[in-house]
Amino acid sequence: MTVAAAPILEFHDVTVAYGRRPVLWNVDLAIAEPCLFGVIGPNGAGKSTLLKAALGLVPVVGGYVRFFGAPLARVRGRVGYVPQRETVDWDFPVSVMDVVLMGTYGRLGWLRRPGRRERDLARHCLDRVGLGGLADRQIGRLSGGQQQRVFLARALAQEADVYLLDEPLAGVDVRSQEQIFQVLAAVRDEGKLVVVVHHDLRTAAEWFDRVALIDMRLVATGPTAGVLTPDNLRRTYAGRVELLEEIGRAVAERGRTP
Amino acid sequence: MMASAPTLAAWPPLVAVAAGPLDAGLTYNTLVVLAGVATVGFAAGVAGTLALLRRRPLVGDAAAHATLVGVGAAFLLTGRRDLPTLLAGALVSAVAALVVLVFLRRIARTRDDAATAIVIGVSFGAGLALLAGITARGLPGGAGLEQFLLGHTAALTAQDALLLAAVSCATVALVAVAFKEFVLVSFDDAFAAAIGRPVGLIDTALVALVAVMVVVGLPAAGAVLVTALVVIPPVAARQWTTRVGRMLLLAGLFGLAAAVAGVLASTLRPGLATGPLVVLTAAAICVVSFAVAPERGWLWRRSTLPAGEESP
Amino acid sequence: MVNAPVDRRGRALPGPWTGQIVQAAAKRLRSSMFLMAQKMFFDAPKILGSGCLIRGAIALGWAALAGCGPPDAGGPPGDGRPRVVATTTVVADLVRQVAGERVVVECLMPPGIDPHSYKATPRDADRLLRADLVVASGLHLEGRLAALLERLADRVPFVAVADRLPPDRLLEADGGLSDPHVWFDAALWSQAAAPVAAALAGIDPDAAVAYETAAEAYAARLHELDAAIRQRIASIPAERRVLVTAHDAFRYFGRAYGIEVVGVQGTNTTSEAGLADVNRLVELVVSRKIPAVFVETSVADRNVTALIEGAAARGHRLALGGRLYSDSLGQSGGDGETLEAALEANVARIVAGLAPGPEAVSP
Repeated sequence: MTVAAAPILEFHDVTVAYGRRPVLWNVDLAIAEPCLFGVIGPNGAGKSTLLKAALGLVPVVGGYVRFFGAPLARVRGRVGYVPQRETVDWDFPVSVMDVVLMGTYGRLGWLRRPGRRERDLARHCLDRVGLGGLADRQIGRLSGGQQQRVFLARALAQEADVYLLDEPLAGVDVRSQEQIFQVLAAVRDEGKLVVVVHHDLRTAAEWFDRVALIDMRLVATGPTAGVLTPDNLRRTYAGRVELLEEIGRAVAERGRTP
Repeated sequence: MMASAPTLAAWPPLVAVAAGPLDAGLTYNTLVVLAGVATVGFAAGVAGTLALLRRRPLVGDAAAHATLVGVGAAFLLTGRRDLPTLLAGALVSAVAALVVLVFLRRIARTRDDAATAIVIGVSFGAGLALLAGITARGLPGGAGLEQFLLGHTAALTAQDALLLAAVSCATVALVAVAFKEFVLVSFDDAFAAAIGRPVGLIDTALVALVAVMVVVGLPAAGAVLVTALVVIPPVAARQWTTRVGRMLLLAGLFGLAAAVAGVLASTLRPGLATGPLVVLTAAAICVVSFAVAPERGWLWRRSTLPAGEESP
Repeated sequence: MVNAPVDRRGRALPGPWTGQIVQAAAKRLRSSMFLMAQKMFFDAPKILGSGCLIRGAIALGWAALAGCGPPDAGGPPGDGRPRVVATTTVVADLVRQVAGERVVVECLMPPGIDPHSYKATPRDADRLLRADLVVASGLHLEGRLAALLERLADRVPFVAVADRLPPDRLLEADGGLSDPHVWFDAALWSQAAAPVAAALAGIDPDAAVAYETAAEAYAARLHELDAAIRQRIASIPAERRVLVTAHDAFRYFGRAYGIEVVGVQGTNTTSEAGLADVNRLVELVVSRKIPAVFVETSVADRNVTALIEGAAARGHRLALGGRLYSDSLGQSGGDGETLEAALEANVARIVAGLAPGPEAVSP
């Protein structure tokens, strides 16, 4: 028997409450291998909260979250983050390059300014997400998909081993969604774990290797085809029966295609 | 009591020597006031930009109104009314008011504008009541503390100007050093927290900087007007640039220009109060910026009508 | 610069006044204002929708507002004498000189207070309304009390002393008003004694003759003082006979005794001096080689300090000639307790400051 290495990301008995309202309840989830991992569930199910709990942005009432077996504070440099697009004022007077450079601040510390190495890295990340020529544009003058990709480039500039993305495809047109997913898949292929909070079941079935269904608690987790069954979907999205049946059928079909 | 006079006497000749090459129309008093007010104008513009970017332009207002309580309390507790003492009191109460403001927002879950209104109203009312109480009791030296409301720019002494300049320079230096952290937290505090920055601490530092500039601006423009110096130059600067670094610099320069122009204008005719002229100049710069700035300016946008509406 | 307040023996007054304020606050909290606070206290959360923090803020605010007022005036002494309330210390002195011990004289504004900016508290209004006679200075000296005094005029016997002086002897100030600082012309002020005596006779007819006699005696003393002052001012060499002070309170003094007066602020202390004014004064002081400027007991020193520095920058040593009594008399036991004493003290300082001598007098 081989000794198991610590999982890349582990949630143990995680409970999060805002005031007296519980949002996440007893979540036990471990991701051991690098993959493209989706967190799926209805609105208000606590998906974003799960990521924020991992990053220490919301207080965890019970349980803990570990990265590579260690608390976040010890391995911050290995964790990258893409927050939701609405949290930012896009009228802020910064350029695309400025935003992507912020990804390097973690390594630079307080006093050092970004230098040539950081700028080259930033340009490389921008090229990866397909925004190569837009480095000097003010961020308010980008489309939704471009803004999302700027955030992704910033996360890539963090040069992390685990990436947590919160709704990176919200409000993005279909073509940009494809592009973003391709970048994420490439990152996964480099041996990184990519965790994505996602709202759309159809694309979820298409892209993710593994998923977790969340509805204030963990409903099911595992390889996508096995998890997105009509039964599980019914338990998660209680009340939307017809839709679920249809999606369940679509998922089952895809699962059969090689 | 008179000990301060001989040391000051050594100063002015130095200043006079330095002023030699300058225009003969600048007197010592004008230079002193210029030195003090110009540095405050620059630093207030810079600090105010950070507050504006953090979407809290009214912290300056809250701090300014809260200083009155501190001025009165400092006088009551120490019995002295020299500038450093009163400013120290003003600083304590301004910071306290801002702490209460943050507290109301975060923990009492009050809305932003309601919380600001509460802090401004309560602290200003308490301050006025305190000063009225001092006046009514006839405490010696208590007269004229309300001058802090309106400022007495023309009567800045060399010592005062030095204090103002020192604090302003320290503020600008701090912003220059920690510039990227302030911008990071102002732009995306979730990301900043995720990479391990102490967002609460940086936020507090930012707000404290504004409080310090407001307090330091009290003698230069008075409590009521110093808010204008903190808010107007950044708003004007935003019209001209889309880069944060340039916006900070431009806001500082606009504040500086307003200060210099206001001070010089008040030397032209007797009876022109200096503080209000500084603020009026800043407002004029803002109006011009709104009208004339490229891309965001009103005139600019009018002159670039869609093709179909232009005459062929 | 002299900024620390001192008691009459020149010792610096101790710092903490918090004990007195807390006491006054405790008393006030028992008054009806607390009931209003309670009402707001319980209604507030419904309006603002949050919890105990709002209540705390409002309670604090009311405590602050309620706690900072003057101490209880208390009832009248109850010894049967008429109660006269005067607005300023100068007017109170006048009444005392004419009435002696026959009435109880209360003064609204304590010594050292600036009457231009004094705002009445509800207790002041109370005291004025319950007085047997109210004596004010007049000519808008008590600028912020104007509305209150107007309301009084119907309900309480009232006399504004300066308003009774012959209008042709008054100086004009800005805005079409007259300069109210009439007491610095001793001869002119002596004409104010008679109206006071008449008003006192109105509320205390039995002693009418006594009041008249006292008024005439006081007027005679003021005339003597007037002559003495004129002589002493004349002893200052003509080119140095310029009195530079914080605000334009001494114009009557200047006219009566032949000395030029210049104030940094205007006639009213609530206006702010501009840089041009300060520059102009520095120019004046340097070109005329004026040796000293003077601060006042009821006005802040700031402008004068800037003046001194500006003159020093041009190589002219401008001394601080001392602290003059301007809009207010001094503390009891000091050298400015009565108008006569204050005028004498002022003249002594002015002469010492301006007349040629090795050192200027410290205040």
